[in-house]
Amino acid sequence: MRSPATDTPWHMASRRLTAHRPAVAGLAVLAALALAVPAAPLLGGGVVADALSAGQGSLAFALLAGLIGGGAGVVWGTLAVALGQRAERAMMSLANRLMGLPLVLGVLLASGLAGRGLGLLAGMVALTAAPAVAVLTQGELRSLLRREFLTAAQASGLSGRAILRRHIAPNAALPLAAAAWTALPRALAAESFASLLGLGLPDGVPSWGGQLATAVRLGDPLAVAPPALLLALSLWSLCAIGDGLRAAAGGRP
Amino acid sequence: MSTPLLEAEALSIHTGRDILLDRLSFAVNPAEVLSITGAAGSGKTLLLRTLAGLPAPGAWIEGEVRAQGRRLLVTQDGALTPHLTLGAQFAELLAHHLGLDERAARQRAVAALEHLHVSAAARRLALYPHELSEPMRWRAVLALALAAEPTVLLADAPAASLDPTLRARLLDELAGWARETGAALVLSGRPEDGVTGPATRALNLDRGRLTESTPPTETAVNGEAPPPGPPILSVRELRVAFPLGRTWRGEDRWLTVVDGLSFGLAEGEILTLLGESGSGKSVLARAVLRLVPPAGGQVAWMARDLATAPPEAMRRARRDLQMLFPDPAAALDPGQTIGAQFDETLEALRPDIPAAGRARVIGDTLREVGLPDSVLTRFPATLAPLEAARAGLARALLPGPRLLVCDEPAATLSGVERETFLTLLLELRRTRRLSLLHATQDADTGLRLGHRALVLLSGRVVEEADCATLAADARHPYSRALIAAAEARRPALHGDPPSALRPPSGCPLRLRCPRARDYCAQAIPPLDEVSPGHRVACHYWDTNGSDAA
Repeated sequence: MRSPATDTPWHMASRRLTAHRPAVAGLAVLAALALAVPAAPLLGGGVVADALSAGQGSLAFALLAGLIGGGAGVVWGTLAVALGQRAERAMMSLANRLMGLPLVLGVLLASGLAGRGLGLLAGMVALTAAPAVAVLTQGELRSLLRREFLTAAQASGLSGRAILRRHIAPNAALPLAAAAWTALPRALAAESFASLLGLGLPDGVPSWGGQLATAVRLGDPLAVAPPALLLALSLWSLCAIGDGLRAAAGGRP
Repeated sequence: MSTPLLEAEALSIHTGRDILLDRLSFAVNPAEVLSITGAAGSGKTLLLRTLAGLPAPGAWIEGEVRAQGRRLLVTQDGALTPHLTLGAQFAELLAHHLGLDERAARQRAVAALEHLHVSAAARRLALYPHELSEPMRWRAVLALALAAEPTVLLADAPAASLDPTLRARLLDELAGWARETGAALVLSGRPEDGVTGPATRALNLDRGRLTESTPPTETAVNGEAPPPGPPILSVRELRVAFPLGRTWRGEDRWLTVVDGLSFGLAEGEILTLLGESGSGKSVLARAVLRLVPPAGGQVAWMARDLATAPPEAMRRARRDLQMLFPDPAAALDPGQTIGAQFDETLEALRPDIPAAGRARVIGDTLREVGLPDSVLTRFPATLAPLEAARAGLARALLPGPRLLVCDEPAATLSGVERETFLTLLLELRRTRRLSLLHATQDADTGLRLGHRALVLLSGRVVEEADCATLAADARHPYSRALIAAAEARRPALHGDPPSALRPPSGCPLRLRCPRARDYCAQAIPPLDEVSPGHRVACHYWDTNGSDAA
């Protein structure tokens, strides 16, 4: 038997995360990128160093838009559950319908019509990620609210507020974090797609999509490879970590 | 004496480090039904797999298994291939085993399904597994096995997820098939899975060894006379219904789960709520504690109506009314230690106990339920089933309740552990002078523990009597079926319970009832008094008919 101190739910969740091998690989890749990208200007010139330094713009923007989108999605899903049955049905059917649309085209449309502003782009990219996060959030919360220990807490005389604070919030934290994480790869993909078409980040902000566009325009296959590979690698790591988080949140020991 | 169809001789299985099965020897003759019972993890599944010739990888097998003819194993979950229709699965299996073409396979499939009393069998062959109800899925799984005409059929915990009434009948039909065709049938399961009922020979698997099965020597029995006295809990015309949305005409649709139920519970009394799953017993138990909002009626605790009680009064009432949940581990927050949750319960329900005094109360209660203090620092996921059940009991006892509402309190426990826990529950009830409201689908446990019983069907009481009377002289066909199933006899009800969304007119049992006549469709039978304290809701309770079988 293990000692109780290592059997806390957080320990078990982290064990499940580290048992998920793609997630561990993804974390390693992402950590390496996080070190290499800021250090890229020190490496001097060359296609690889250029591609690495372009990651600054892409990753920072993905983080920003992903946080906004993930946060908005979590708020959306939580409000839907909190506001009662009718609101829930309306809000979730909107989210489901939006999820079915190619929202990335909205990013292009907005950039094309209103010019390439960082704020507008961040907002639109966040919007592409939010509905999927909202759907995940609502599902997680609904299944959490059905769990028996909440009924038991009610039988133990706890008020609704105490149950929310002590039982629902702590148990929702990890599943909702896992749901919100899915906004990061979506944001990165949407931004890269828009930048590839020249409708993404403003000129002067380096990004993988922008570099790819330049390389393709010049017809230089050697220059295409580094940003394309780095982009694919980051997308894969983000998705793998997302899967690992979901396994950590959902699994039973 | 005919030669056995299946024979194991000094069969041992070990992993190199642990001995899993230890020198088992037995034989199964034609037309014989052997049951192998054992607690969870005793090696039943491993044994059956080995007997079927599908040994687990990584295990060493010694000794010998001899079988004649075709062996077939029905696995524990009774899995069907999800993307194939039933007809296609029959065709595939029968083509493989018997080399039948599709038409012949179809005919045989229909015959096998009809043997297990599946109505409109030919039409069911077009269905996919997910379109079948759980009882129907089990009939299909077993029919699939019968159709392949095995000489040895091994079934691992067959139909364990079904209600006892349905399961007992299905197992009886399976045994009947074995006797008819001269096949050997091996059924395995936990002691409470009812596999011993149709068996001609019963063996018990305990820590890798086989013994002739004997009924457990120590069973929890309530020997006391029912205490007289006025009711402390009284439930009047309680109704619980859930909204289902609207029809196209704009009328609200409701799913009525508890339909105008009334009863009283005296101090120190044990009242059993007996019924199949879906009969409303669990919802009733929760509605009494106001964990499910009632749609109408009254629940009065000490002459105070709980439905209209303000939060403060409700909290005072919760101190007296506590609950045991069917899955005690799931009723504990996975993110907090047991100690933190106990503390929280005491803090909410007993503000009169100072924070410094809580540890003493918790320690005393832990000793009462037989748990060490070290359990307080552990998390629910690390508890064994019996420990979790004890922890759930301790939490319910902490505030010093006077009524325990138990919803299948031993559902996660098996065999000896189950009896240990129920004995503890009875003992604590006596020392603490608790009243118990005990909801269960197992008539045996329910009638053994209780003073008085209510038999529930579709949210209504169909029979009410004291437990001794009910055990000896149940009048309602549904009560008789529940008791028969608990004794592993064949219940006389046929077919599956109707959907709660489309209940039949008149008597809710009439579609399954052996006594049903035309009049049953017209009126819901009222509760008639048969003898003092014994009431039955059946139009024909006095026609003591042929439904004893």
